[in-house]
Amino acid sequence: MAKLLMFHGQECPHCRKMMPRVERLEAETGLRVDRREVWHDEANQDLMRGYKDALKPKCGGQLRVPAFLNAETHDAFCGEVEYETLKDWALRQ
Amino acid sequence: MEKRHWRCFVCNDIHHGVAPPGLCPTCKVPNAYVEVSAAEARRIVGGGADTSLAPDEFRTALERFAAGNEFRLNPDRERVDLLLRGVFENERRYGLKFCPCRVRTKDWEEDLRIVCPCNFTVHETYQGAPGGACWCGLFVRRT
Ligand code: SF4
Repeated sequence: MAKLLMFHGQECPHCRKMMPRVERLEAETGLRVDRREVWHDEANQDLMRGYKDALKPKCGGQLRVPAFLNAETHDAFCGEVEYETLKDWALRQ
Repeated sequence: MEKRHWRCFVCNDIHHGVAPPGLCPTCKVPNAYVEVSAAEARRIVGGGADTSLAPDEFRTALERFAAGNEFRLNPDRERVDLLLRGVFENERRYGLKFCPCRVRTKDWEEDLRIVCPCNFTVHETYQGAPGGACWCGLFVRRT
């Protein structure tokens, strides 16, 4: 199964909006998204920085959250999107 | 161009920039700035009264800053409260008011670009976007 990661921040409003969509995605598709909070957890920050080459070109040249990443293919996107867009991304992995 | 530190010889204002101000903004004396070391500048700035801002004072500072601009603080109070909590938590943990919706790269110069308020007018979410907002939605364009 594809290893899907979501980097999010506890005080990030876009991330909060995306959480229920991620939960719905998991419930509907059986996929699992590994959620990593970055501002309160330095290990997760380091993990995100480790993927900077994959994330920055898709995230305005920065390490923005929420960020969604396939840890194997490095297919990624950032920001708040509708549920269908999230699902399309997850299913093409 | 590398930024350097400058001190007003009259009122001790400190400036950090590529060149000294022609006129001191505090005491209005022309040609008043002399270059000093970063350590000296830090001692002068850090040695005075504690000017730390509480979250409510920072909110007021942001409102004042926005008042002279084409944007304003988001009228969604709950969103602003959440973001300010994040900004202050980041300052407590990492020493600067980092953006709650981005992550430090650990490159000093690059990370200075995500201190709140950042130069969000270049964000694609603000520039040319109808109802433009900074990446986090703390600031929104006035309609
Ligand atoms: S994107 Fe908005 S909240 Fe984030 S640092 Fe910039 S102004 Fe502050």
